[in-house]
Amino acid sequence: MNGEKRKRLIVSGIIDYLIFFAFVSFMITCCIMLFVSTLSRTLGVTLTGDNLEEAAKLTFVNVVFLSLLFCIVDLIRRRWTVSRPVRRITEAAERICQGDFSVRIEPIGRFATDETFHTIIDCFNQMAQELASVETLRTDFIANVSHEMKTPLAVMQNYGTLLQAPELSDVKRMEYARGVTDASRRLADMMTNILKLNRLENQQIYPKTAEFDLGEQLCECLLQYENIWEKAEIEIDTDIEDNVKVKADEELLGLVWNNLFSNAFKFTKAGGKVTVALLSDETYATVRVQDTGCGMTPEVGAHIFEKFYQGDTSHSVQGNGLGLALVKRVIDILQGEIGVESAPGKGTTFTVKIRRVPYELE
Amino acid sequence: MLKILVVEDDRELNRTVCTCLHHSGYEAVGCLNGAEAYDMLYAGMFDLIVSDIMMPGVDGYEFAQSVREVNEEIPILFMTARDDIASKQRGFRIGVDDYMVKPIDLEELSLRIGALLRRAKIAASRKVETGSFLMDADEHTAYLNGEEIPMTNREFSILYKLLSYPKKTFTRTQLMDEFWDADTETAPRAVDVYITKLRSKLTDCHDFEIVTVHGLGYKAVMR
Repeated sequence: MNGEKRKRLIVSGIIDYLIFFAFVSFMITCCIMLFVSTLSRTLGVTLTGDNLEEAAKLTFVNVVFLSLLFCIVDLIRRRWTVSRPVRRITEAAERICQGDFSVRIEPIGRFATDETFHTIIDCFNQMAQELASVETLRTDFIANVSHEMKTPLAVMQNYGTLLQAPELSDVKRMEYARGVTDASRRLADMMTNILKLNRLENQQIYPKTAEFDLGEQLCECLLQYENIWEKAEIEIDTDIEDNVKVKADEELLGLVWNNLFSNAFKFTKAGGKVTVALLSDETYATVRVQDTGCGMTPEVGAHIFEKFYQGDTSHSVQGNGLGLALVKRVIDILQGEIGVESAPGKGTTFTVKIRRVPYELE
Repeated sequence: MLKILVVEDDRELNRTVCTCLHHSGYEAVGCLNGAEAYDMLYAGMFDLIVSDIMMPGVDGYEFAQSVREVNEEIPILFMTARDDIASKQRGFRIGVDDYMVKPIDLEELSLRIGALLRRAKIAASRKVETGSFLMDADEHTAYLNGEEIPMTNREFSILYKLLSYPKKTFTRTQLMDEFWDADTETAPRAVDVYITKLRSKLTDCHDFEIVTVHGLGYKAVMR
């Protein structure tokens, strides 16, 4: 490896020298030709082969020496202004390869090197910073996932152990079994959401745009929750405009409504009310999903679209903190807007605004 | 007793599904792969098939397809871990009747099987019967206590659909979709008119009622 490197250095040194030699000889030949021809014309000097030969030898040695001198000066200049920053950059890149994202390249004095290297170093530092933040997100994500997975697993394990006890009353047995079912359902829901989110985040999504009736989609989505609102005695109020046609990806938008509706029903108590409204103008369609649930503080509201964020730290209401992250991601892909209005005890209103025809189709 | 064939390669899952179906009053037979399932189908009559998609050897798609080639009626329900639209579309194109994503809720499975069998019966007999009310799709006529109730074709189609899926709410568009290619701007509201007429014709029928689900659609509810 090292021998290879040295060989390459020698070869490139020789090539450099030859280039300088050719360059210097060309320059000097041109100068001498001009000088000699002018001299012979004005002074009438005639040149014989002998004087010429001696002068030529001397000049040749001069050219060889000058080329060498230039070559060395150039080498030193490059050592200083090119190799030094390059070495720093390669060293930093190697450390990044090894997973150390904290590395930053120290800037080199303004005049000590070429402007290009300053640009490269700035870019490199920026890249290292981005990588570091991605890494933090990833570690946090894994920590969150494993926590969220271990909790229901622990619950199942515990109930499983309890169920093995002989002479368990029927009531207790039912209760423990239900505990296992609920925990496994929670785990399954979370896995489904993680997979969906992963698909949305790590793949280039090309929304399949087609025209459909948004009001109809909202009605059909909402009807999936009919059992829930009947059982929980939640009042439904709809104000859905007829014939609001949009050009968008129906499946992706379905994810948004399903998550917003399931949240609304999850947080609304018996006797509460869920309102769904669809308004439209020429460019935008606006959907409002309002509940009379527990609501949240502005501090909580500011974080709800983050992965694994749960306003309710007691986890008394089932959820995995991924639903709204999914919603946000879809809204971003579809270039829409989502907003939330809420106050503790006053319920929550989500407003989704999407273009009826995407930008690129206009 | 209605017989159900369960094709699922995971032994535990197969066992739990079969047990659950037994509890719901069906006779369930489990097999672990497609080949075994073919043998079972040759040997006996089944009323419904529950099948996994990803199985060693013959996969669910292939299995469903070969079943459909010889039997167009038998309801097939897929239960699978694949929840992408493409897999679902492929299933429904082959002629699968319902699709559940794993992990499945056993209670929901038995409800869906009940609904599938009910629909299969309606499809086979082309009759819906609710107490003293009877609808005959071949004659396109409805009877209450044996007496004919005059109905237009559209009224009949809407009511037939509502009664085939009791307690399920249909949006106006869904009720209208399959029946006529009317202009979609006004048609959804036209459904309201048909419902009003149906209600007035059915004032003497006390076996079910057509309920308006606020702003969303209609459903038939048994009394």
